Amino acid sequence: MRYYLLKRLFLAIPVLWLLATLVFMLSRLLPGSYAAESILQEGNGYYAKGSAADRATAYQQYLIRTGQHLPLFYFSVSSGATPPDSLLRLLPEAAQHNLQQLAWHIGNWQEAYTFWRTLQELQLHAGPAELQALAPFLQTITTTTNVQQRVEAARAIIKYDTASPLARKLYRLALKLQQQHRLSFMIPSLRWHGTANQYHKWLTGILHGNLGNSYRDSRSVTDIIVETSANTFWIIFISMLLTTLAALELSIKLMQPRYKQWRKAVMPLLFLIDSIPLFVLALLLLVLFASPAFLQLFPVYGLGYGYGGQTRIEQITHTLPYLVLPILCLSLAHLPYLVNQFYNALSAAESMDYTRTARAKGLPYGLIIRKHMLRNALLPIITLLSDFLPALIAGSVIIETIFAIPGMGRLLVTSVQARDYPLLVAIVLVVAVAKVVSHVLADICYAYADPRIRYQSQA
Amino acid sequence: MRKLQILGYSLLLLLCFCSKPNRVPDEVRVRLTSDPETLNPVSYTTAGSLQVINLLFQSLMAIDLADDKIKPALAATKPSIVQQDSLTYITYQLRPEAQWTNGSPVTAADVAFTLKVLKAPLLNNERMKPQVAFIHDIIIDKADKRKFTFVCDGFTPEMELLTGDFFILPAYLFDPEGKMEAFTVSDFAGDNSARENDEGLQNFAAHYNSAEYARSKDLLQGSGGYVITAWEQGQYLTLKRKDDWWGNHVDDNTHALTANPLQISFKIIPDNTTALLALKNQQLDVLENIPAAEFNQLKADKSFTEDYALYTPNSYEFAYIGLNSRLPKLSDKRTRQAIANLLDINSFIKVSQQSYATPTVGPVPPSIKPYYNNKLKPYSYNLQKATALLQAAGWQRKADGWFKTINGQQQQLTLEVSYRAGNTVFENAALIFQQGAAKAGIPVTVQAQEGSLFSQKAKAHDFDMFFRALSGNPFVFNFKPLFYTSYANDGANYTGFGTPESDSILDAYNVAEDDKEKARLLKRLQEILHEEAAFIALYYQKDRLAVHRRFTNLKISGLEPNYDVSSFKLQE
Amino acid sequence: MKRLLYNFRQLWLEKLIFRLVTVYLALLVVLVLVLPWLPLPFAPNYLDLNHIFQPPFANVQGAGAAHWFGTDALGRDVLTETLYGARTGLFISLPVVITSTFIGLMLGAGAGFFGDNQLRISRAALLLSPLLLFPLFYFGLYLPLHIQQYHLPASYMWLSWGTLALLLGISWLLHLVLQRLAWFRYKAAFPLDMLIIRVIEVVSSVPWLILVLLLASFMPPSVMLLSLILIFTNWTHTARLARAEMLRIKAMPYMEAGRALGFTDARLVLKQALPNMMGPVLVAFGFSLAALLTLESTLSFLGIGLPPTIVSWGRTITGIRSNTSAWWLVAFPGGFLALTVLALQTFSYYLRLMLQNNSKI
Repeated sequence: MRYYLLKRLFLAIPVLWLLATLVFMLSRLLPGSYAAESILQEGNGYYAKGSAADRATAYQQYLIRTGQHLPLFYFSVSSGATPPDSLLRLLPEAAQHNLQQLAWHIGNWQEAYTFWRTLQELQLHAGPAELQALAPFLQTITTTTNVQQRVEAARAIIKYDTASPLARKLYRLALKLQQQHRLSFMIPSLRWHGTANQYHKWLTGILHGNLGNSYRDSRSVTDIIVETSANTFWIIFISMLLTTLAALELSIKLMQPRYKQWRKAVMPLLFLIDSIPLFVLALLLLVLFASPAFLQLFPVYGLGYGYGGQTRIEQITHTLPYLVLPILCLSLAHLPYLVNQFYNALSAAESMDYTRTARAKGLPYGLIIRKHMLRNALLPIITLLSDFLPALIAGSVIIETIFAIPGMGRLLVTSVQARDYPLLVAIVLVVAVAKVVSHVLADICYAYADPRIRYQSQA
Repeated sequence: MRKLQILGYSLLLLLCFCSKPNRVPDEVRVRLTSDPETLNPVSYTTAGSLQVINLLFQSLMAIDLADDKIKPALAATKPSIVQQDSLTYITYQLRPEAQWTNGSPVTAADVAFTLKVLKAPLLNNERMKPQVAFIHDIIIDKADKRKFTFVCDGFTPEMELLTGDFFILPAYLFDPEGKMEAFTVSDFAGDNSARENDEGLQNFAAHYNSAEYARSKDLLQGSGGYVITAWEQGQYLTLKRKDDWWGNHVDDNTHALTANPLQISFKIIPDNTTALLALKNQQLDVLENIPAAEFNQLKADKSFTEDYALYTPNSYEFAYIGLNSRLPKLSDKRTRQAIANLLDINSFIKVSQQSYATPTVGPVPPSIKPYYNNKLKPYSYNLQKATALLQAAGWQRKADGWFKTINGQQQQLTLEVSYRAGNTVFENAALIFQQGAAKAGIPVTVQAQEGSLFSQKAKAHDFDMFFRALSGNPFVFNFKPLFYTSYANDGANYTGFGTPESDSILDAYNVAEDDKEKARLLKRLQEILHEEAAFIALYYQKDRLAVHRRFTNLKISGLEPNYDVSSFKLQE
Repeated sequence: MKRLLYNFRQLWLEKLIFRLVTVYLALLVVLVLVLPWLPLPFAPNYLDLNHIFQPPFANVQGAGAAHWFGTDALGRDVLTETLYGARTGLFISLPVVITSTFIGLMLGAGAGFFGDNQLRISRAALLLSPLLLFPLFYFGLYLPLHIQQYHLPASYMWLSWGTLALLLGISWLLHLVLQRLAWFRYKAAFPLDMLIIRVIEVVSSVPWLILVLLLASFMPPSVMLLSLILIFTNWTHTARLARAEMLRIKAMPYMEAGRALGFTDARLVLKQALPNMMGPVLVAFGFSLAALLTLESTLSFLGIGLPPTIVSWGRTITGIRSNTSAWWLVAFPGGFLALTVLALQTFSYYLRLMLQNNSKI
């Protein structure tokens, strides 16, 4: 058994690694980034807060300072037409798109880049009057996918300013690009980046126990998670405990013949609760139990003030009323499902031979349920409980938003919205670890619940 | 069982007492929608953090919300500006009373230090850096350590505003070891990549970029009237007034230096419904951005209005529609005008703002009478006119829509309207437009796009039509970034608007001296904007907020954050 | 099959509630199907801008017809919205639940039945299939997506897929050739159980919310996208349940008896195991369907999920957030939702009862 568990945990490591890597890569694929949103964003438009060129420089400095200019992984496999990471990463996203589009159409990134650079330089050196006159052509030449149109636009530019060497160079390049083999983008190319990549930095950081710093407030991600996960953990843990106990008790009660009348009333009621969306349930509880219009039993939001110098017990009694509604809400939301599953598991056990034997022995029915049926019904129950975590996390997002509790769920949503990747990846990792632990616990429980299941520890 | 019931009831009773947290009477409780994340006066990102930092730190000039005018804050008077060759010299004099938390005076050396922090490489200052890129150097007066001159490249009208706009940092707290003294401001002008290898700077960067300077209540102490006493991430943030703040002793009436409430608490409540409930429970003193329908109900609620006063100041935030004039199908201005004639602005206002908004013809607020062009009329729904305009633009009506041959290809007039996901006001407006356009035979798809995706698409000019909001101010109307043609390629001119005349107007406005000329230019600009119909301003919103009646001297204003919490006074 | 119908009839005759529920669900399906041809006073998505937030049963002038269930923030008729919401809800959740249950059942039962060493695959196939992953990804997904993104001619897309088909063909030939060698023909055990368990772990460790959020930032919301995410996250649940059931059933005496009699794997699974594990799976099916119906409105709360132009219960219910006194926005669609969910639960409850009796005989 112990050997099996060790093996189990050992096997979990590659899963965790795979998951973290997946999320790491996936999150970097998102459009927009924290830096672009905060630095490249224009002011409110009524007056210029710095020029676009200054912004672009500051953006590049930020990327380099935080190591975000590096390639993502040790190697990359992409179309041969794609410019290398070192070139692309420092550009704002819109520019990246334009350059990539050009490169894919031409099939050769070096030539696309020369052309693109020439175009940028031309725009940089052009005076305001010139820019204005050339604007439609410049727009066409940067975004068109038609070779002929590009040449026409370049010709128009050269017509406007025949003396400009840049315009002439642009026209020459446009002509040259006409005769490109455009199919070369089909061939994949493998690029080796070595250890100077973002993933390597992140992974070595993790091995040293450092999950990185949040982009937003440059705090260590570990600190933030430790701080917020406590709130979420308690809410989830207490509500899960309450729900499980209540569901067990309720389903045992409902199994017994003398509560048959109850069953007819309780089951539909539970189904009814189940059909209320979580956020409506939360708002309903708020309006019913925290509003002056009805019953003002509980505080509306937050976790209360933590004045300094309190003992632990004082703190808990102080925070408790704030937690009642969120926990109640989460418990109510999941109770119907659990009760129904427990009930089904129990009634499956009811039809088994041992139950009949026990009944024939004349044992009281309540005792039969607890002693005989429950143990056999445990298997599906354990599966259910161990699978419950993501649902609870998802639920906690809504609960935390409505009841204004700082927890992991809310942190997750804000970190996705702000593109705070280090935090995002770390949260997913923490959830996954919790998940693995719960699965391992489930396996232990399986073995204890049903000795017929043997883990091939000898094999 | 009986015992259990008694226990249950007593628990309920206990909770009843717990439900209303006790409070200090002289405390203002304000709601924030999200955690401020960082309170560093250089690298802050959200409007909420700016509101808090404004209570901790000060800039040279500040806006007085009582009359929406810019007034000296740390500076004693408005700066004097001298233009010489291609340089501009802006000279400030600091207030003699101004002092830091430890009692030492605010001097020009602190301003110089701040500039170095704003401009140096390696530091977490990229957000503010572009705003002060034009400040080339600082000259500190030899005789008066409170007098200094910024040396700026070129001249633009907003320079005066920008030089007074950044928060001044205390050198003694931010750089106790004086590592930055080795540099001058001009060291960091232009290309300064060579300085990145400087060991002193690297040490300072490691120290300054740490989370301490984003959150520590001991370090984030400025010349403002408040200090942080507690900050529980994601829950609340409390500030306490300094015991004997220098600003309260400045006598003259030309400033907005106030620190009245003893304590200010910022409560972080993300959800609107929860915040409203907290307000009704008297757990909040101030709440802004109340949804229109709810606001009307609060107004009708007698018991609520006994305790709270409701305000609807005219804000400087307006909604507009952008049409991508670069697209071949929208490049004809008659097509755009036709679309503008399908906008039912009155319904937008009635439905999504419950009439708490004023229609506008352009980006100049109607409340600024001298500059607003009242000869123009905002677009309204006019089906016949729209049809006529479409025909004039060469579109042909067929059974399933409007068609036109563009670049040798038959193209149908369809529109994809996008807006930032989660914005119900724009969602409603987009749906109303969809119904209105359907009557004219134009198929419209409505798309909610996630925040980053939305701004990314606007920047890449990958859109047909979008809804956006812009917030402005009553003192500067330099619309160059929004409407100048050179900003159309990569800049805030997303719609690609621009005519030779509008460009020359924007240029002329920046050098115009007297108000009459400025008014003439702005009015003409509004005409062109109206005519071109690429950037169609819809309405100026009214903000809706509630403040507890025990406070007076609120300084309600249309400018964010709509009130000055530091000036609140208890009702006598 | 005959017995199934017989049992169904028995239930129908004996239980009044079952009759009610079945009739309700059947009516609902019929309603959903004929809805576009019903003479409703208002079309779905029709905005009656002069009557916004109209309370139900109010006497309204000038609306053309009465809004029996009131109207929402844009004057949309709540009655019409509620009926069409049922259509959207079922059209989305039914295919999703059926697909995900099917996938989950197959994978879960397979994993439970074969375990780690009872599925045997030839070494040739074992070696070739991972090699094919790269071209599958590159030519099947990466190239077509980029061709679309950068507006290259659509013919390249077919070229890319053609290349992929060619490569697949070549590897099939290679497989045939390798089969001739004894070493490659040898059938090695395939650790199916471990693989599926790992996949389930990875997939179910990512809260579906993250996936929805991540995908919502890639592309605007659409029905297809939402369905894919829901299928992707939903199947693991059934799979784990099915696997656990299969493990239990495998240890049962009748399975051992079947194996001793030399029944084929397919017969063991289809005839013996599957009918016995249908109970929990069916109950989970009913609940999944019900959960999906409510989930959709939760997504509307977070501002992701369905596009705003699609009528749905969630859209109407979420309207309560801009006006908390408009109770009818929650009451009618919410009530209908609750009723449907209730009917589904009850129906699957009786179905389970029936199957249980069935297996006893």
